[in-house]
Amino acid sequence: MVQDLLRCRSEPNVLQGYPMIPGNKDKRDGILFSLPYLAVFTLFMIYPLLFGFFISFFKWDILSTAKFVGLKNYTDLFKDAKFYSSLWHTLQFVLITTPILLMMGFAMALAVTGKSPLKGVMETVFFVPYIFSMTVVATLWAWLMQKDFGIFNQVLVSMGAGRVSWLTNEKYAMWSVSLATFWWTAGFNMVLFSAGIKQIPQEIYESAHMDGARPWQVLTHITIPLISSTTVLCLILQVIASFNVFGQVYVMTGGGPSGSTRVLIQYIYETGFRYYKMGYSAAMSYVLFFIILLVSVVQYLTLGRKKD
Amino acid sequence: MTARIIEVLFILLWVFPLFWLVITSLKNENEVVTKVFSFWPRHSTLDNYRKAFTSTYILNWMINSLIVSTFSMILTIVVDAPIAYAFAKIKFPGRNILFWLVMAGMMVPFQVLIVPLYLQFNSYNLVNTLTAAMLPRIALPIGIFILKQFYEEIPSALEEAAFIDGASRFTVFNKIIIPLGKAALTTVIILSFINAWNDFLWPLIAINDTAKYTITVGIANFQGTHGTQYSLIMAGATIASLPQIAFFLFFRKKIIAGIAMSGIKG
Repeated sequence: MVQDLLRCRSEPNVLQGYPMIPGNKDKRDGILFSLPYLAVFTLFMIYPLLFGFFISFFKWDILSTAKFVGLKNYTDLFKDAKFYSSLWHTLQFVLITTPILLMMGFAMALAVTGKSPLKGVMETVFFVPYIFSMTVVATLWAWLMQKDFGIFNQVLVSMGAGRVSWLTNEKYAMWSVSLATFWWTAGFNMVLFSAGIKQIPQEIYESAHMDGARPWQVLTHITIPLISSTTVLCLILQVIASFNVFGQVYVMTGGGPSGSTRVLIQYIYETGFRYYKMGYSAAMSYVLFFIILLVSVVQYLTLGRKKD
Repeated sequence: MTARIIEVLFILLWVFPLFWLVITSLKNENEVVTKVFSFWPRHSTLDNYRKAFTSTYILNWMINSLIVSTFSMILTIVVDAPIAYAFAKIKFPGRNILFWLVMAGMMVPFQVLIVPLYLQFNSYNLVNTLTAAMLPRIALPIGIFILKQFYEEIPSALEEAAFIDGASRFTVFNKIIIPLGKAALTTVIILSFINAWNDFLWPLIAINDTAKYTITVGIANFQGTHGTQYSLIMAGATIASLPQIAFFLFFRKKIIAGIAMSGIKG
């Protein structure tokens, strides 16, 4: 009643179903309240995004004046063996970490949403590495994997096995970095998965139980299908995160041995800030952006559709 | 029973690296760099911590990180909360488009921005300052998302009553929305602080002077400068993790809830 009265008195409202209150200007307030964020967003997101694209068409170092080179940075890129190898190492990391981290997160989520008396402890313990900074995790794991005095090799030696060159052998280095990453971030996926699992109505489990469903059947016929939207979300987030890998590789192996773990972001960083080829670096980052975007959209279209 | 044993095994496996971090930091350097392996420190010592504080820049780095994280946290709240309120409660034209535009910002990988941002800050003469390390990280779309979800749950009747009493939009925001949304705001405060504290790529680029490094860059730099002094490095890494450990001890539930919330409807 009061609201109807108020609506009559106020100016015509563009959006229906919302009471207009005298002296209340939604349009003005909406803009005013959005303004601080939009200023920051424009200055540090939109503007650099466009500026970076612009730079990618120039030969640009800080010392001399920029020179327009058209698509040369992009065409050079596709002739650059280091670009391909870095891209391949990034892909390797994505292919290694994505499936394993998803499965680990899911298994952990099952453990912490189950009936175990240890579930509280497990939730804390599995999650805790995630709050540590990447550099701490990477220096710690580099120490664990240190060839002569690291605990991993000390244990192997005491069991009579030989030392493993975790970080200095081309065959193992990427796996070793991945191992540290598993420990560091699996807990994040666990949190997402357990949030998904907790949303499944308990009655479904109860009726399955009454129908005599075995645990394996419950898992494959109830839990997994019903959290498919969480799985898709996890997958998309994980692929994006893995494509953006840099820090742990940079700290643990420095891209070595002999460039065998140099990932694309490291190459982007070195090109831009060690060799000051800013235009080339920007072009490369746009190619990576495009790849990530493409992969995400493809994933969303192929997997995201199914859930509705 | 077997399930319990496996669980305990995994718990120990997950805790072990952290245990080893602390154990190594308490050992004498000679005891670490030896092939005669010791599990427990023979002579526990805090020497490495003393050395970290006296002979490295770690105190500077901690203070720098504290400054950067605190300011970026405050600024994140200042810009995120009002727009989240606008998205949740104010029906203004273009709202939905704007919301998706802001959320699309989450899709932009930060590395695309590093070259242009560097040139941008270079032209402001801000390279190699803490301001540069802080500013580009204050727009936190996930914060907006979390706050918006929460603010939507606050009954509009409360606001309307205040408006009828003649309160301005800002008063409503300040006196009703902010206090009632305290829980979500705390989550965003924690997430933004940890985010800023853990940031690596950008401070690595924005800052050149060793004394001006943030702690993450400093610790990464440790390995280069202190090569094989593993117990010193581990002491540094432990010091660097103290704020996160403190946050985690006090706000474990909130941190986990914040991450879960960002995943549920995303």
